[in-house]
Amino acid sequence: MNRLKGQIVAIDHSSHMSLVDVAVGGDIFTATLLETPESADYLRVGSSVTLLFKETEVSLAKSLSGLISLRNRIAVAIRSIERGDILSAVELDYRGNTLKSVITTRAVERLQLTAGDQVEALIKANEIALMAGHHDH
Amino acid sequence: MIQVNVSKQLHGVNGEFQLDVSLEIAQGEFIALFGSSGVGKTTLLRCLAGLEQAEQGNIVVNGEVWLDSDARINLPPQQRHTGYMFQDYALFPNMTVRGNLEFALRKGADKKRVNELLELMDIGALQHRKPDTLSGGQKQRVALARALASEPSLLLLDEPFSALDAEIRARLHDEVLRLQRHFSITTILVSHDVSEVCKLANRVMVMEAGRIVQQGNPIDVFSAGQTSGKFRFTGEILAIEPMDIMFSLTVLVGNQIVRVVTMPDEAARLRLGERVMLVSKAFNPMVLKLGG
Amino acid sequence: MIIDWQPLILTFKLAAVTTAILLCIGVPFAWWLANTRIRLKPAVEALVSMPLVLPPSVLGFYLLLAFSPEYWFGAWLDREAGIRLAFSFEGLVVASVIFSFPFLVHPVQAAFQNLPRSLTDAARVLGKSSLQTFMHVLLPNIKPALMSGTVLGFAHTVGEFGVVLMIGGNLPNETRVASIAIYDEAEALNYAAANFYAGVLFFLSFIILLAVYMINRRAQK
Repeated sequence: MNRLKGQIVAIDHSSHMSLVDVAVGGDIFTATLLETPESADYLRVGSSVTLLFKETEVSLAKSLSGLISLRNRIAVAIRSIERGDILSAVELDYRGNTLKSVITTRAVERLQLTAGDQVEALIKANEIALMAGHHDH
Repeated sequence: MIQVNVSKQLHGVNGEFQLDVSLEIAQGEFIALFGSSGVGKTTLLRCLAGLEQAEQGNIVVNGEVWLDSDARINLPPQQRHTGYMFQDYALFPNMTVRGNLEFALRKGADKKRVNELLELMDIGALQHRKPDTLSGGQKQRVALARALASEPSLLLLDEPFSALDAEIRARLHDEVLRLQRHFSITTILVSHDVSEVCKLANRVMVMEAGRIVQQGNPIDVFSAGQTSGKFRFTGEILAIEPMDIMFSLTVLVGNQIVRVVTMPDEAARLRLGERVMLVSKAFNPMVLKLGG
Repeated sequence: MIIDWQPLILTFKLAAVTTAILLCIGVPFAWWLANTRIRLKPAVEALVSMPLVLPPSVLGFYLLLAFSPEYWFGAWLDREAGIRLAFSFEGLVVASVIFSFPFLVHPVQAAFQNLPRSLTDAARVLGKSSLQTFMHVLLPNIKPALMSGTVLGFAHTVGEFGVVLMIGGNLPNETRVASIAIYDEAEALNYAAANFYAGVLFFLSFIILLAVYMINRRAQK
């Protein structure tokens, strides 16, 4: 599980859903939640939260151009790649934090990813969960 | 409107504790008392029916005083006219189904009510049978019909569904809801089944060691938590196996076995037999309707 | 041989009267015993069971003392009501009721205790009085025990010997029941008559017990 610590900077919500912007370092992550400030106490601007998202939900892109609906795009550097028969785990450095992405080995080869490459990591807003406070595990 | 305020000393498995409950119930409400066994749910129900005596307190039902320990008023169960459904159904073995219902009628009540209930509960075909020849689900229907035959002002259900299998239970849940609305009768259900409570009750009171520790809309009460993932199950790890560069966890959730995929570092922190919570965002699960 | 039917008739008359009284007293008593929480319950239960273990002569001896007009209870009865229980049919009835009490009370008490408590609760919640609950819910559901208790009480009274001998003696038409007659005839070396009484008792007792077991077997199905 990837974890990043941040602070809520904005909340947009309807009666049952919220779009929560969380500042992590200099980037803003966005998470869609089926919760609202009325139903969940921790949804307050300024609250400390931990972003959670699964490794398999992190996509990687090289020299991506054009428009994309995806909200969360961050610049990362590849530290190492562990190749499996079908899947590969790519360890990423994001502003000093370690993130992992699990993509197909086929994709690693097609993108010709190697350690040291600068790439973009993409995470869909509805794949990010929030946990109140800062948790390491 | 029902106002209840009772206290009573209880002898539990873990020593003595005090049943201490106050609640207010509006006409027609469907309340669930939720909690593990031995927290005083059934005792509270029995105090309401008059089968057990609260040491202190008062019970007022639609303006009628059932219990007032200060004024030394304590109506016997015969005068309270509650509809009580027992865990073991307590059908009278010597009477037929119809006999059980007729026995329950109040003095001078119209016998048509028995026919109406036999029809409503779809047990007309069983009316001349003795309880011992009925299945669990059928007994349950008869017990419910009998509880309603006495025109109760309050329906008390003491874990009546716990001995039934899931399919019959679900059908009876529908039945209870239908009847509860048909007679718009105030109902209190004792249960330790979350799904049952969510389905039937419009308000749940969570009990712990004789006290109500939480109450509200069942879905709100049961889903209160910290993570924004809305989908969660707790289970026990049965197997941890490497799978390509990742690990597969086999987890027993309820009585279903599911598999989830994790990273090696996460798998390394887990042990067989450990309890874990599986969390998913509300967006992920795909929903397939069962049975066509 | 001229057969004197009197002892047999007397035996069954005694058993019938005794059983009727047993039912009237024993069933409510068994219900009370099944539900009471008094501290003396073990003592009461032990007293009720005494006839099971005591030699009939012990009980007979004390009853004889109690019934005798020489002592206070017998004297009081004689003075106030003109009743003399010693060496009379009435005395035999009283003794038989005491002596057969556990044979009725035990099975009936056990049956009451085995009835789910919820049956009583259900009847109370449905507005039924204690008497209605007892008559319509409790009694009908302990029929097999009631049946076997009745028959055991009856059969046991038929078979009584020691107590009768102690307090009844051997008065024709009054206290000379079949068991006494057998003893008496055998003593007089009148084996044919003894054999007749013994045979009738043997046969009837067997029929009664057979009927009970057959009814119980059907009830269990």
